[in-house]
Amino acid sequence: MEKVGIVGYYQVKMYSDANYGRYEMIFEAVRGAIDMAGLKKKDISTVISCTNDYYDGRTISNCFTVEVGGGYMADESKVEMDGAHAVLYGLMRILSGNHKLAVIWGGSMPSCFPYHSTRLYETDPTWERQLAYVNDITSAGFQMRSYMEKYGASAEDIAKVAVKNHKNAAKNPLAVAEAQNSNITIEDVLNSDIYADPVTELMVAQPCDGVAALLLAPERQALKITDNPVWITGVGYSQDAYYLGDRNLYESKSMEMAGKIAFESAGIKNPQKEIDVAELFESNAHEELILSEALGFADKGKGATINSDINGELSINPSGGAISGNPPCATGLIRIIEAAKQLRGEAHGYQVNNAKKAVASGQIGMCAQNNIVFVLEGGN
Amino acid sequence: MSEDKVIVANRGLVRADFNFWVGRYLDKFYDNLENKKVIGNKCTKCGAVFVPPRKVCGECNVVIPLEENWVDLPDTGTVVNYTITPYRINDRTLRKAKNLLLGMVQIDGSNTSIVYRLLDLEPSEVKIGMKVKIDWAEKPKGDPSDIKGFVKV
Repeated sequence: MEKVGIVGYYQVKMYSDANYGRYEMIFEAVRGAIDMAGLKKKDISTVISCTNDYYDGRTISNCFTVEVGGGYMADESKVEMDGAHAVLYGLMRILSGNHKLAVIWGGSMPSCFPYHSTRLYETDPTWERQLAYVNDITSAGFQMRSYMEKYGASAEDIAKVAVKNHKNAAKNPLAVAEAQNSNITIEDVLNSDIYADPVTELMVAQPCDGVAALLLAPERQALKITDNPVWITGVGYSQDAYYLGDRNLYESKSMEMAGKIAFESAGIKNPQKEIDVAELFESNAHEELILSEALGFADKGKGATINSDINGELSINPSGGAISGNPPCATGLIRIIEAAKQLRGEAHGYQVNNAKKAVASGQIGMCAQNNIVFVLEGGN
Repeated sequence: MSEDKVIVANRGLVRADFNFWVGRYLDKFYDNLENKKVIGNKCTKCGAVFVPPRKVCGECNVVIPLEENWVDLPDTGTVVNYTITPYRINDRTLRKAKNLLLGMVQIDGSNTSIVYRLLDLEPSEVKIGMKVKIDWAEKPKGDPSDIKGFVKV
């Protein structure tokens, strides 16, 4: 693949209930990324946004973001999935050869709408939506139980992931305050409110307010903008069947497929050895294990046995992952930004030593139906 | 939400409720539910039996003809997964007094599972692999609510 570089990024501080509007957040993020790269509004040639009409409460919601999102008198298009999918679209715009600088931004403000109810709109209106038994919460309960039953994993194994991510979030200044907890214990996680048994409140990546932005440029342009670009060397993308009852919830076949494609294009043969840091979008703690296994970081059912702490065998979600804050439409994009920070040595407080190769993933759908993964490399 | 935050929650005069046509496959399925019968359809290539029926098998990427490959199924099945939630699914802020017990049930003779309530059971009684049968609505209407849930066999 032709080299495309990440040349700037900006993420606003995440809040469970932000005290300023989404349009202010979008401007702060996009302007922040442009300023970081030392560029101007006129340098933007294409904008890819990521929002969701249901989360914004209006159709074609991106048309209201023209001024704040950098799309004014530029070309702009929207991806209604995860921010990581918007990065794929931006990457394609750059690879088309027609653009020198792509702005990708995504985010939303769930403090203003009933997030879990809007997730019901993902379900089939002609079938399971009518009884409303399936949403993000109940499907997570099914997925965690399936994983535990299949592999004999314990609730403690899953709680350990939540503990690690809350502790990592405490080192991440942009994390949601409620997720920052350096004293959290496995018991705290297991004894928190039941969401959908066996999933408890502290295992869930709680929806929060936030926006993030990223800049992509082709190689020549990237090297003019920064001495420290992060290269996208591989990307893979796949999705599983729609209905929950058609899938094996204990594994992620779509992430396996996505990982295979991404690693092949990046020339990575042994992800477990070659990858230094992974930023994965885990909607719930157990998904971090399922996705890690799909990416080959551990054998199936053995995700909990690897040391995934910062500077452990393979650092997974040193930023705290989605548990550190889960702004719908931004979470996967934030994973890419966090991985880029690691490769640029800018993850102050949670930096992984000598991070050279990273993966970052995004997802959408119940039980991570649809997965996208990027391989990123630092240096020139 | 912060008290000092001004929230505009006005729907204005806008109202746009949607109707969905269920399509010819689900139409047939719902007609059968109305008569307290479960049917599925079978992929012409791999033989997987789908409940509810599908037009296309995703794995094989073939169309299952509308007039063929229907399978009559019993109203019994196996619990392959379950979860218990104290929340109302459509509004997590309101707790229900009683836990909602949901199961993924594979109807005998099918290859997929469907999500329904498990009725007249204590959470501690539920086991994966447990045999259950449909508790039919007294007056079926030809929609998903014809299956009230599943009860222990």
